Amino acid sequence: MSFWSGVWDWFTSASSWEGNAGAIHRLGEHVAMSGASVLVAAAIALPLGIWLGHTGRGGTIAINASNVGRAIPSFAILVIAAQLWGIGWKPAFIALVSLAVPPMVTNAYVGLREVDADVRESARGMGMTGAQSLWRVELPVALPVVLAGVRTAAVQVVATATLAALVAWGGLGRFIVDGTAQRDFVQVFAGAVLVAALAIVTELALAGLQRLIVPAPLRRRDKERDKPFTGLAADPQPG
Amino acid sequence: MRWDWVTTHLDDIGSATREHVVFTVVATLIGLAISFPLALAARRWRWLATPVLSTTGILYTIPSLALFGLLTPWTGLSRTTAIIGLVTYTLLILIRNIVTGLDGVAPEVREAATAMGFGPLRRLLRIELPLAAPVIVAGVRIAVVTTIGLVTVTAYIGQGGLGRLILDGLTRDFRTPLVVGSVLSVALAVLADVGLAALQRRLTPWGDHGVRATQADHGVRATQAGG
Amino acid sequence: MLFRQLRTSRLAMPLAALLALALVATACGNDDDDGSGESEAKGSLTIGAFNFTESAVLSEIYAGALREDGYTVTIRPNLGSREVVSPALERGELDLYIGYAATDLEHYNNNAGEATPDARATADKLRSRLGSRGLTALEPSPAVDQNAFAVTKATADRLRLRRLSDLAPVAGQLSLGGPPECPTRPFCAAGLESKYGIRFREFKAVGLGAVANNALERGDVDVTLVLSTDGGARARGFVLLEDDRQLQNADNIIPVMRAPAATDEVRTILNRVSAALTTEELAELNRRVDDDKEDADVVAREWLSENGFGD
Repeated sequence: MSFWSGVWDWFTSASSWEGNAGAIHRLGEHVAMSGASVLVAAAIALPLGIWLGHTGRGGTIAINASNVGRAIPSFAILVIAAQLWGIGWKPAFIALVSLAVPPMVTNAYVGLREVDADVRESARGMGMTGAQSLWRVELPVALPVVLAGVRTAAVQVVATATLAALVAWGGLGRFIVDGTAQRDFVQVFAGAVLVAALAIVTELALAGLQRLIVPAPLRRRDKERDKPFTGLAADPQPG
Repeated sequence: MRWDWVTTHLDDIGSATREHVVFTVVATLIGLAISFPLALAARRWRWLATPVLSTTGILYTIPSLALFGLLTPWTGLSRTTAIIGLVTYTLLILIRNIVTGLDGVAPEVREAATAMGFGPLRRLLRIELPLAAPVIVAGVRIAVVTTIGLVTVTAYIGQGGLGRLILDGLTRDFRTPLVVGSVLSVALAVLADVGLAALQRRLTPWGDHGVRATQADHGVRATQAGG
Repeated sequence: MLFRQLRTSRLAMPLAALLALALVATACGNDDDDGSGESEAKGSLTIGAFNFTESAVLSEIYAGALREDGYTVTIRPNLGSREVVSPALERGELDLYIGYAATDLEHYNNNAGEATPDARATADKLRSRLGSRGLTALEPSPAVDQNAFAVTKATADRLRLRRLSDLAPVAGQLSLGGPPECPTRPFCAAGLESKYGIRFREFKAVGLGAVANNALERGDVDVTLVLSTDGGARARGFVLLEDDRQLQNADNIIPVMRAPAATDEVRTILNRVSAALTTEELAELNRRVDDDKEDADVVAREWLSENGFGD
């Protein structure tokens, strides 16, 4: 049996998908873990980044957060978390949240800072309070950049959740880790395809969501491939 | 932490660090050697841009563990496997930055150069590349820092640089090598980042474009350096 | 004016710097390959180790004996499971690994069930299975390290577990821990099911050794695979369930080699080590590495000098 027909059989046979070790269950785990990590990270990072950006405080920290975050290998965070909190979902969750926070803080901060001073001033000129200006003027203007940070973080979390299989958690990484240990490359390949597909779907879904919430006049030409990786911003990172 | 372990294992720590640096530098250089021609081709023949960028984009989404694992039947548990995997992840970053960097050169500048009698190659080397250099170096910077993180994962194919110490810490449930490996890996990344950031600034002698490159939407404006 | 400032030197400089860095780095990298010491080098051998402590200890012991006799030996640590290590041996990336007779036999015969409790017979069969692959196995050691299944004292008392067959009726409520290859291995989960009818509620890939033992202690898993020579598991007072239906076979320690690397001299040295190893000593060496965090090469050197290999 060739590799490719093995892959075909894997994807077409019910036994690959069903049960506690099946792809549907693993996909569910992967999505639940990624979703929960991104939500919790957003609940921490967005208020912080927005507040820093609005007040203009802590610029160096906020701007460099994503960069420092990138420098810390997820593999290392995961293993350290596993030593501190044992195996299972906890180290995975902690590692993924700490992975997702920095890019969101950076983008929220930069998004708010980028709002034109004239826009800010005219909001004040119209008699808005600081909070009103933030809520009704600055945030809508900053939204595309803030959401871009969430999107990047989410895609990164989906890709990195794979590593959690190394510390005995489930998710799609199981196919990759178990397949390697059992020399079952069909399983490894299938796992990789599922993770890559999930990352792409996440990217597209969040891009769609962004289009829904960002008011039309504020949408920017948003063609991914025209963007360079900038070093201080939230660029995607492989998992 | 057991500091006595650190003092008795300085050799191991040193060789692991060295291996980590070698992997990073070699992967980045090979990545550049592949990315430059591809990026130039994608600019010369615009229809190539989409396949080149989407292929490298898809490669970029493959989980690293799987990529390294899937390469082993061909290239074994070897340095080659590690390098191939690491290079793969640099391609999207480097190609995208080279293309956008060169695209950011203002048309007037290009026209002026042509008017001054520069041929295409000379224009590229003398005008376009230097003007695009900050964006390209920004890409190198990201590629290097990303690679430093990914080298740790190659411990699973018997390589790993500092990742070997992390894996040893995991296998034996021994925190000292784990912390040493992680801290040094972060230190390497920060060092490389700071160094390349300084280089990036030196290459941007005109005004505040270095600051613009910090814009979080990696916005198109960042590419207009030299306009 | 701008153009004059930005001559190619601006780009040449960073590239030159990168290149210089690479050259320095690779130059440094090269002396890695020289190996360490031994001027009267006879030849060089590469040993691959599995990703658990005992494999590191055994690799260091056999490597130490070879080095005493003037060989240059490289150990590739923590490579993974046998499913990862044996293809590397066949590809020639490794010259040998220190295996386990029964488990290796069932690996190379695709679980044909040929392994028996007789070490010599199992080793002979293994050797005949290896021949066609250009591999061979040396003499089995009297030291044995079988797979065993451990529970905490509390679990054993609560569920009245003494033997593996006691697990069958209650396994549906319990989770099993082990390395990721366990579910497909005949001496692990797959064998528990076929020989004992034991089906666990779930399997968790906690690995083998310190992490797995912690997981058992914390209650993250209810039963876990341990090696019978795992000194750490013994020290923690785990109960090792008796293998009352003989699932485990002659897992005596045995070097598995590429045939061309197995010269008479190498065979003699390695067989002498195998003959001197005992199960009890091995368990103690493992414990020192796992629990006392001593280095595998340090405890190996001690064992070698105590057993008359070199100084």
